[in-house]
Amino acid sequence: MITPVAMASFVRRMLDRISASVSSSGRNHLPTRLRRSRSDVNQDEFRCYSVFVARVAIMVMLAVLIGLLTLLTWHFTKVYTRASLNSLAYGLRYELLQRPLLRMWKILNSTVEITTSQVRLSEYVIRKYGKGENQAQQVELYEVMRDVTWALFSSRKALNSMSIKYRNGFVQAFHRDLRDKNTYYIYSNLYNYTMVEPYSMNRSSTHQGWNDQMIHGNVSAIWYREPLDPDTGRKTGKQKEIPPDELINIAGISQVPDGAASWHVSVSKFTSSPLLSAALPVWDEDRGSIVAVVGVTTALYSVGQLMKELVDLHGGHIYLTSQKGWLLATSSSTPLLRNSSDGYTLTMAEDSQDGIIRSAAKWLNKTNHNKLPLNHEVHSATATLGGERYYIDSFFLNLTRLPMVGVLCIPRKNIMGKVDAREIKTLIILISASVGILVVGCICIFILTNGVSKEMKLRAQLISHLDARRKAEASSNFKSQFLANMSHELRTPMAAVIGLLDILLSDDSLTNEQYATISQIRRCSTALLRLLNNILDISKVESGKLVLEEAEYNLGKELEGLVDMFSVQCKNRNVEAIIDLSDDMPKVVRGDSGRVVQIFANLISNSIKFTTSGYIVLRGWCENLNSFSNNENFFVDHKALWSAYQKKIKRKTCKSDNIMILFFEVEDTGCGIDPSKWESVFESFEQADPSTTRLHGGTGLGLCIVRTLVNKMGGEIRVVKKNGSGTLMQLYLLISTPADIPKESYRLKFAEHNLKVVLALNGRMSGSILSRWLHKLGVHIWEANDWNQLTHVLQELFKPTSYAQSLTYERSETESLRTEGVKMTIFVIVIDIGMLNISTDIWKEQLNFLDAFNTRAKFAWILNHDTSNTIKIELRRRGHSLMVNGPLYKTKMIQIIEAVIKESSLEQSKKYIDAHECLQTNAKSSDGSEITETTSTGSSQNEETNQENFQVYGVVSNCFPELTEGRSEWGRLTNFPNDSSNCEQGIHQADQKVKNGKKALTGLHILLAEDTPILQKVATMMLVQMGAKVVVVGDGVQAVEALNIQKEVENVEKSCEPRPFDLILMDCQMPKMDGYEATKAIRRAEMESESHIPIVALTAHAMSSDEAKCLEVGMDAYLTKPIDCKLMASTILSLTKCRT
Amino acid sequence: MAAVSQLQRQFIEYATSLYNEGYLDDQFTQLQKLQDESNPDFVVEVVSLFFEDSEKLLNNLATALQQKIVDYKQVDSHVHQFKGSSSSIGAQRVTTVCVHFRNYCDEQNLDGCLRCLQQLNHEYILVRNKLEALFRLEQQILQAGGSIPMME
Repeated sequence: MITPVAMASFVRRMLDRISASVSSSGRNHLPTRLRRSRSDVNQDEFRCYSVFVARVAIMVMLAVLIGLLTLLTWHFTKVYTRASLNSLAYGLRYELLQRPLLRMWKILNSTVEITTSQVRLSEYVIRKYGKGENQAQQVELYEVMRDVTWALFSSRKALNSMSIKYRNGFVQAFHRDLRDKNTYYIYSNLYNYTMVEPYSMNRSSTHQGWNDQMIHGNVSAIWYREPLDPDTGRKTGKQKEIPPDELINIAGISQVPDGAASWHVSVSKFTSSPLLSAALPVWDEDRGSIVAVVGVTTALYSVGQLMKELVDLHGGHIYLTSQKGWLLATSSSTPLLRNSSDGYTLTMAEDSQDGIIRSAAKWLNKTNHNKLPLNHEVHSATATLGGERYYIDSFFLNLTRLPMVGVLCIPRKNIMGKVDAREIKTLIILISASVGILVVGCICIFILTNGVSKEMKLRAQLISHLDARRKAEASSNFKSQFLANMSHELRTPMAAVIGLLDILLSDDSLTNEQYATISQIRRCSTALLRLLNNILDISKVESGKLVLEEAEYNLGKELEGLVDMFSVQCKNRNVEAIIDLSDDMPKVVRGDSGRVVQIFANLISNSIKFTTSGYIVLRGWCENLNSFSNNENFFVDHKALWSAYQKKIKRKTCKSDNIMILFFEVEDTGCGIDPSKWESVFESFEQADPSTTRLHGGTGLGLCIVRTLVNKMGGEIRVVKKNGSGTLMQLYLLISTPADIPKESYRLKFAEHNLKVVLALNGRMSGSILSRWLHKLGVHIWEANDWNQLTHVLQELFKPTSYAQSLTYERSETESLRTEGVKMTIFVIVIDIGMLNISTDIWKEQLNFLDAFNTRAKFAWILNHDTSNTIKIELRRRGHSLMVNGPLYKTKMIQIIEAVIKESSLEQSKKYIDAHECLQTNAKSSDGSEITETTSTGSSQNEETNQENFQVYGVVSNCFPELTEGRSEWGRLTNFPNDSSNCEQGIHQADQKVKNGKKALTGLHILLAEDTPILQKVATMMLVQMGAKVVVVGDGVQAVEALNIQKEVENVEKSCEPRPFDLILMDCQMPKMDGYEATKAIRRAEMESESHIPIVALTAHAMSSDEAKCLEVGMDAYLTKPIDCKLMASTILSLTKCRT
Repeated sequence: MAAVSQLQRQFIEYATSLYNEGYLDDQFTQLQKLQDESNPDFVVEVVSLFFEDSEKLLNNLATALQQKIVDYKQVDSHVHQFKGSSSSIGAQRVTTVCVHFRNYCDEQNLDGCLRCLQQLNHEYILVRNKLEALFRLEQQILQAGGSIPMME
C-alpha cells in the first residue's frame, strides 16, 4: 500500500502547484487594478485570495476522493482475484508435482512388484529344480529361470534390466538398451563357477562370498550377450562376448546385506537417465540362506518424460532429487549424469546444467539454511531465479530407503502473468482515469467558481449600486425634507419683504420713479414668493409631508372667492373669468380647502397666463358615486375611480359622510397645448413650449403640483380636446360631504316672485351662462351686451307698456295690503359698470337715461375693482344702492335678487307703515362683503373703507350670515319703529355683536384643567373674553372631582345651576394625575351614563405621536401651547356644535 | 402731551425691539389683547406669575442637576413645564432654550443640561429685565395720563 499513499501525496503536490500557479496568475492581474483605490485593491486581493483558497480546497478534496476511490477499487479487485488465483495456482502446482511423484511411486511399486514376483517365481523354480545335482538339471533350472524371467521382463516394458545372480556366480540378465532399442540377454559362462560352492557356504560366510568385486574382479568369467527379439524373446543374433565394462549393473549379494529388499539409484552408461534398481534376495526353502539375488532396474526416464509433458503445458521446471540432493529426474533435457573420470555419476541439483534448476536448488538450500536433508515442504511465490520471479514448491516423498524431494518451479508470469499485467493495466487505467476526472473536475470547479465569483462580484456591485441609489434617494429625501422644514423660514422673510414694500408703496412722499421701482420690486418679490411656494409644495409632496386636512368648508364660496381674486387680473387682460357651478353641488364638503383652492388657483392662473383674450370658465358639477353612470363625454377610469373610492371609504371614520365625485373643467381660449404634450405638462419643470418661458414666465411646477394634489384627493386630471383654440382641462375629485346638509331651495323662492331681469354684461360668456341658468329657474331674462342693446332692450321693455306697467305698479302700491304684492312684477336691471363710457363724461348722461327707469326697476351695478369713487358716489347719490363687485356669478346673482325681493317687500311695508327709515344694513363685517347695500345716509366713510378692503383682496368670507343677521335685526327694528330707544339698543347690540366677532363662545361652560398658573390665567382670560364661563382646576384629580360634584348636583336639582360643563380643556402634563389618566377616568365614568363630554388636550408637545396618544385615550381634539386664540375657538365651537 | 407721546413712541420702539430681537413673540401680543378694562393688570399679573414660577423651576432644576444621580425624567418634566409657561407668555428665546434642554435630557447629556440651565438662567434674567423695563415704561405712560398704544 505504498503506491496509493505516494500517489495521493503526488496528487496533492500537483494540486498545490496548480493552485500556486493560479494564485500567482491572479496576482499577476493585480497590478492593473492597483491603479484603483488602495482599499479597493486590498478588497480585491482578499477576495481573490479567499476564492483561490476555496478553489484549492475543493480541488484537494476532489483529488483525495478520487484517489481513494481509485485505490480502493484497485485494491479490492486485485486482492480478491489474487487470493483466488493463488489458491488455484497452489492446487495446480500441487497437482503438477503430485503427478510425477505418483508416477515415481508407481514405477517404484511396479519395480518392487516385478522384483517380488521374480523372487517368488525364482524361489518356486529353484525349489523345483534346485534339487538337481547334476549339470543338466542345473541347465534346466537356468533355462526355466530364463523363461520365467523373460516372461516377467517382457511384460514390463519400462524395465531396464532384470538380473538374477545365483550363488554360484552365474548371472542371467535381460537388458533393454534404450538407445538402440535392442533387447539383450546377458549371461556369464558357467565354467568358473562351481555348483557346490554356494551350497557349502554357511550362512555366516555367505556374505563374504557375495560381492561385486568378485564379479567384476572375476575376470576369468566370460560374459555373453545375445540380442533378442523384443517381442518373442527369441534369439535374433549370435551370442557375443562382451567386455566386462559393457556390463550392466548386476545386483549382487552386497546389495541385500540384511536380506531385505533394497533400493538405490544407479547409473549406467547405456542410459542418460539415472536408474532405479531394486534388489531382493531369493531365499531357499527354509529361509536359511540366500540362493540368488534378483535385481531389477528401471529407468527413471519416463518420469522425466512425464515431467516434460507437464511442463510443456504449464511451463517451468520440475525436478526430483534424492534426499541428499542428487538429481533423479528433471523436466529439462539437460543430462542428469556427469561424465566424470570414474564413469557416469549423478549430479547434484546445485550443479545441474540447467540454470533454473541450479538456482532453484541454491535458493532452496538458502531457505533451508544449507541444512540437508530437505525434509519439509517449501512453498514460495516470490523466489527470484535468473532474474525472473518463480513459484517454488517442494514436496517431500518419504519412501523407505529412498526419500525423495520434488521441486516445482513455475515462472510467476505463467500463472499470474496475465493477472499481474491486468493488474498493472487496471492500475494505469484507473490512475489515468482518475487523473483525467481530476483534471476535468478541477477545470469544472475552476469554471464554476469563476462564474460564481463573477456573479458574486456583480451582485456586490449591484448591492453597492442599490446602496448608492438608496443613499441618493435618501439625500434627495433629505433635501425635500430640508426644504419642507425650511418653508417657514423662507416664507417669513419674503412675507416681511412684501409687507414692507406695501407699507413703502402706501407712502405718499415717493417720487414717481421710486414708486415704479418699488412696485417693480414688489412684483418681483411676489413672483419669487410664488416660485418659492411652488418649490416648497413640491418638496413637501416629495418628502411625503403633505397631509390633507379634513375639515368642513364651503366649496362654492372658496371657488367664487378664487374667481373674484383672479377677476382683477383678468379684467386687466380683458379676459372674462367665469365660474359656473351647478346647483346640485354640495355646499359644504369635507376636505382640505387650501389644497383644493390651490388646485384651481394654479389651473386658473395657468389659463390666464396663456389667454390674451376671450374667457376662462371654471365649471363644476357633481355626481353621486352610487348613482354614477358612465358619462360618455367625460373621461373616467372606472377601475381607478372605484379603487380610490374604496380606499376613501375605508379611511373614513365618519360613516355618515357621502362620497361624491365632483367634476370640474377649466376652459380657456388661450393658445392651447399641443396634443403630444398633454401628458408631459403635468411633469415637474415642464412647459408645453419651452420658448414660452420667456414670454410667460413660470417654472412649470404648477401643473405638477395640481396633479399631485388631485391624485392625492383620489381624482384625476387631464387635458381634453376642445373645439376651437384654447385648453380644456378636466378633473374630478372624490370629496366627502357631510350627509346632513340640507339642500338649498331658493328655486321656489324665485319662482313665486314675478321676476324680470335685464342682464347687461360686458362678457358674452358669463352673460349667457347666467341667463341660461336664470331662465331655468323661471326668471324672465333679457340680455344686452353693450349700451345700445341695453337701451334698446329697456325701451322695448318699458316704453310700449309703460302705462300698463305704471298702472300695475300704482295698483300694487295702493292695494298692496290685499294683494300682498305677490304677483307684483319685479324688474331687476343688472348693469356692468363697464357699460358706461367712463373715459368721457358720457356716463353721466347714460345714468340720466337710466334714471328714467329707476322707479320701475331695481338697478344692480356690477362694479370693477378699479371703479373710481366718483362714480360710486354718483351712483349712490342717484339712489342706486345695490352694488356688487364683479365678476357676477350665481351666488351674487342670488344675493342681488334676494336683496331686491326684500327691498321691494320692504317698500311695500314701508308704504304701509309710512316709515321712511333708511335701509341700513351695514355690512360692516370685519372680513369684507361683496354686497354693499347702503343708504344715502349711511356712513359712507365706513362703508368705503370696507370696499377698499375688499378690493385689495377678494377674500371670501361668510358675509352672508352676517347679512341676514343684520336683516333680522333690522326686521326687529322695523317691527317696533316707534320705539327709538329700542331701535338704538338693537343697533347697538348688532354692532356689539359684529364688533365682538370673537364672542363666539358665549354661554359655554368650560372646565379648564391646568397646573401652570400662567397658562391658567392666560387661557381663562382668552375664554372669558370669548364669552365662556370657566372653572379652573389645578390637576387631573380635581378635574375628575369637579365633574363628579357637578353630576351629583345635577342629580339633586336638575334645573338648577351650575349647568353642566360643555367642554374640558385638559393639560396633558399635570401633577397628581395627568391629562391622559384624567381623561381615561372621565371616559370610564361616562360609560355608565352614556354621555360624552368633549375633552380638548392642551400640550406643549408638538409631535403627531402625542396627538395620537391624546386621541387614543379618548380626547376629542388637540391644541398645542402656546394657545392660538382663533384655533381654540374654532375647535371648541366645532366640538360643542356637534353636541348641540 | 408731548411727553406722553414721546413715552408712547419710546414704548413702541422698545416693544418692537423686543419682538425683533426675538425676546417676545405673538403670544405676548395676544396677552396684551386679552387685557381690557375689566382686567387692567392682566399682563403684569401673568408675567409676574411667570417670574415666580420660573424662579421656582430654575431652583428645582439646579438642585435636580446637582444630584449625584440625576433624575432626567424629573428634569424633563420641569423643563417641559417651563417651556409651557414661557411659550404662554411668549418668551420665545426661553422657549427655544427649553427645547434644546429637553433634547439634552433625552440624550441624558449632563454637560449639555448644565450648559442649557445656565443659558436658561441667562435668558430668563434677560427677558425678566426687558419685561420689567417695559412695564416700567407702561407705568410711566399711565402716570402721564396716556394710554398704552397697542402693537399691531
